[in-house]
Amino acid sequence: MSRRLPLALGALTFAALFATQSGVGFVRDEGYYFEAARSYEQWVLLLLRAPAAALRDTGRYWSANFEHPGLAKLLFALSHLVFTTWLRWLPDALAFRLPAFAFGALLTYWLAVLGAQRSRAAAVFAPALFWGAEGTFFHGHLACLDIPICALTAGVGVAWARAIGILDPSPSPPSPPSSSSPPPKKKLFFFRPRTWELPPPAVRNGVLLGFLFGSGLAVKHNAWLLPPVLLVHALLLPAALRGRALRTLPWLLVGPAVLFVAWPLLWHDPVRHLGDWVSFHTHHVHYAWYYLGRELRGPPFPIFYPLVLLALVLPVTQVALFAAAGAKLLWDFAHRSLSPLRLLELGLAGAAILPFMIRTTPIFGGIKHWLAFIALLAPEAGHLLDRAAGLASHVGLPRARALAIAAAAALLPGWWQIAHVHPYGTSAYGELAGGIPGAASLGIQRQYWSNNVTAVLPWLNAHAPRGARVFFHEVNPESYRAYQQAGMLRADIQYAAGPWDAQYAALQWHREFRDREPETWNAFGTKTPATGLYLDETPQIVVYARPGLPGAP
Amino acid sequence: MDDEAAPARRRSDRARAVPLLAIAALGVSALIFDLTDPLRLPGDGDYAEAAAALRVQAGPRDAVQVWPSWADRARMFVRSLPVRVEEDLRAADYPGVDRLWLLALPRVPLAKLSGARAALRQRGAVAGEELRFGALSLQPWDLRGPRVLSFLTDPLEEHEVDYVPRQCVQVRIGRPADPGRLQARGQGGVLHVRAGVVGERAYQVARGPVRIEVQVDGAPVATLNVPPTVPPAPGWRRLDAAVPAGERAFAFLVSARDPDRPFCLSAWTTAP
Repeated sequence: MSRRLPLALGALTFAALFATQSGVGFVRDEGYYFEAARSYEQWVLLLLRAPAAALRDTGRYWSANFEHPGLAKLLFALSHLVFTTWLRWLPDALAFRLPAFAFGALLTYWLAVLGAQRSRAAAVFAPALFWGAEGTFFHGHLACLDIPICALTAGVGVAWARAIGILDPSPSPPSPPSSSSPPPKKKLFFFRPRTWELPPPAVRNGVLLGFLFGSGLAVKHNAWLLPPVLLVHALLLPAALRGRALRTLPWLLVGPAVLFVAWPLLWHDPVRHLGDWVSFHTHHVHYAWYYLGRELRGPPFPIFYPLVLLALVLPVTQVALFAAAGAKLLWDFAHRSLSPLRLLELGLAGAAILPFMIRTTPIFGGIKHWLAFIALLAPEAGHLLDRAAGLASHVGLPRARALAIAAAAALLPGWWQIAHVHPYGTSAYGELAGGIPGAASLGIQRQYWSNNVTAVLPWLNAHAPRGARVFFHEVNPESYRAYQQAGMLRADIQYAAGPWDAQYAALQWHREFRDREPETWNAFGTKTPATGLYLDETPQIVVYARPGLPGAP
Repeated sequence: MDDEAAPARRRSDRARAVPLLAIAALGVSALIFDLTDPLRLPGDGDYAEAAAALRVQAGPRDAVQVWPSWADRARMFVRSLPVRVEEDLRAADYPGVDRLWLLALPRVPLAKLSGARAALRQRGAVAGEELRFGALSLQPWDLRGPRVLSFLTDPLEEHEVDYVPRQCVQVRIGRPADPGRLQARGQGGVLHVRAGVVGERAYQVARGPVRIEVQVDGAPVATLNVPPTVPPAPGWRRLDAAVPAGERAFAFLVSARDPDRPFCLSAWTTAP
């Protein structure tokens, strides 16, 4: 299969993310990354103007958001520099987010490449199943690190598979088994012995592997888990392939060099900065997180928390397909009938989620931290969907129609969820949770990151008097400024420190912040909201106005 | 031989369609659930009708309890009555409320309205006739609680304890040698004291308890300890004590070793 299909799907992903980004609010983390990217952009400008000074002053510009490596934020900065500062083509936020859309496109590309090893349909289904839920689609829009590291995890997987020769560059999809032919042997069904006989790894494949691994390191620390996965993968391979895989492993040493180059903060006093980076994450605060009726504040966390959350967040058809994919991979692994590529996918998926099942890793942030888990299951899930359609075609159903039925059944609930909930992605819940109201009754985190506030900004712009002071609750000052720069919030509206200091309050409903609403009632002398965002009746953003002010009830 | 094997082969062929049928059935079920979502939810008109009914039928000692407890969009429409969002309807106090209007969304998933009604029955409340306004249910419940003699704290001020807005006033916590003090005059009877730490600081387990000494006419009559909240134990602590009838001077002395916590206290007396 040529690369045209994965490229086309990647381009489609980019276009879809670009077209649907305008309503997506600036999440808390984006506020920090925007600020960091502005600082890095200034450094780039200094580098162009006075390279020596830029090399000397890396600490001044790159200390912003020291807790995450610099590559993704550098890309946000470069995009902003080119498309906003120089060309003036894009507004600030959109320019920052453009590289994130590119990472989304790359993720689609790599998932399609992996899916294409099974069939053309699986190449389409794999990214479609991943993106076909508001919980994942939403994250594709953000100038954050979660989709980039997810994409690079898949990218490292593909690069590794190509480097050790288990990725067929031109796979011919297996033809559907006919009813008269014997059932195919399970063992190594998609694995062709000829791929074992490939020549030693090409240098360019090794370099690409090292570069992508380094890029992953330079985006987020999750990438440090990849070498152990690849090592174990290499050790589990058949002997002929094992040697080649073990000889490929040293290419990963390129990774730390890429990290060093892509993160100028390390150019001076690297040991201290690396120490700060590690220390931040080993001492990371545990935010309160609402889960099945109780607030989780610290370890030990429920062992199956990430799996349960996925089951509640994703549309039920995706839950079933991803579960089936995981079960099939585990079953075939247990029966030693897993091809090297599928073994790699299983390992990468497992490594993405297992750290969150050891009961001490911080678990806040919904499903975003383990998106790579479902991404790496998506090719297998896509294949199972394709196979279900293929099997049905043997009872007289035309294959095209069977595929259409399979696609509609698997994807329409997720597309409905996107149409219904977007851009309020952190509030989305699937059918197993009973939708958003069911999740509220179950006692699951209502939302996070404050981006849902975009729903009430037009109301505030229309009603708040000039210079009005608004308490934005969880919206941090960085995001507040970003809303003003993007023209989503009037420039004269001021940021209030609390209800006592405010004329209006836009409260985000969080269980752990319930004290802010009565505090607002007491300060404002009213318990009647002026407006709000209620998704399927569940309060998300509740706006109060002091009596007598425009818009007050 | 072929003829004998044919039915088995046909069954086998049909079985191959099972995975697709299962996926299709799951997808169709999911879509039916999703697309019927609006039918389970009340619209503005439903709320407006319910609010109008409450304006006509409710009295001055009535209150509204929404169910599920998160469904408080009702606040935008119901302005003639206090709106409560209690989560435990059996244990909630509702001081001064004779009749509680249960405003519920019975069709939303996992609403468990029957559980809410059972909880009200368990506390001795008696149900009236249920009214339906689209996807809303409105039902009066006669709480048959004791008559309030005196509110010793302002019932209009509210603070959150255990994630529920409580009718209570914020009281300074003092050190044991210099306790925070709240004083009020009221009728004796059964004294009810409720108290808790506001917000997330209630859950900081390294902190010590908050002690409330209750004095009536200058004499200590009871103490209430409010320890750090460790769920499932409640953070909203209760004390009920008999106080001789007649007008009394009540004092609540609030102290702890680490006083830097917002603290909330509610007190009222009822007829024995």
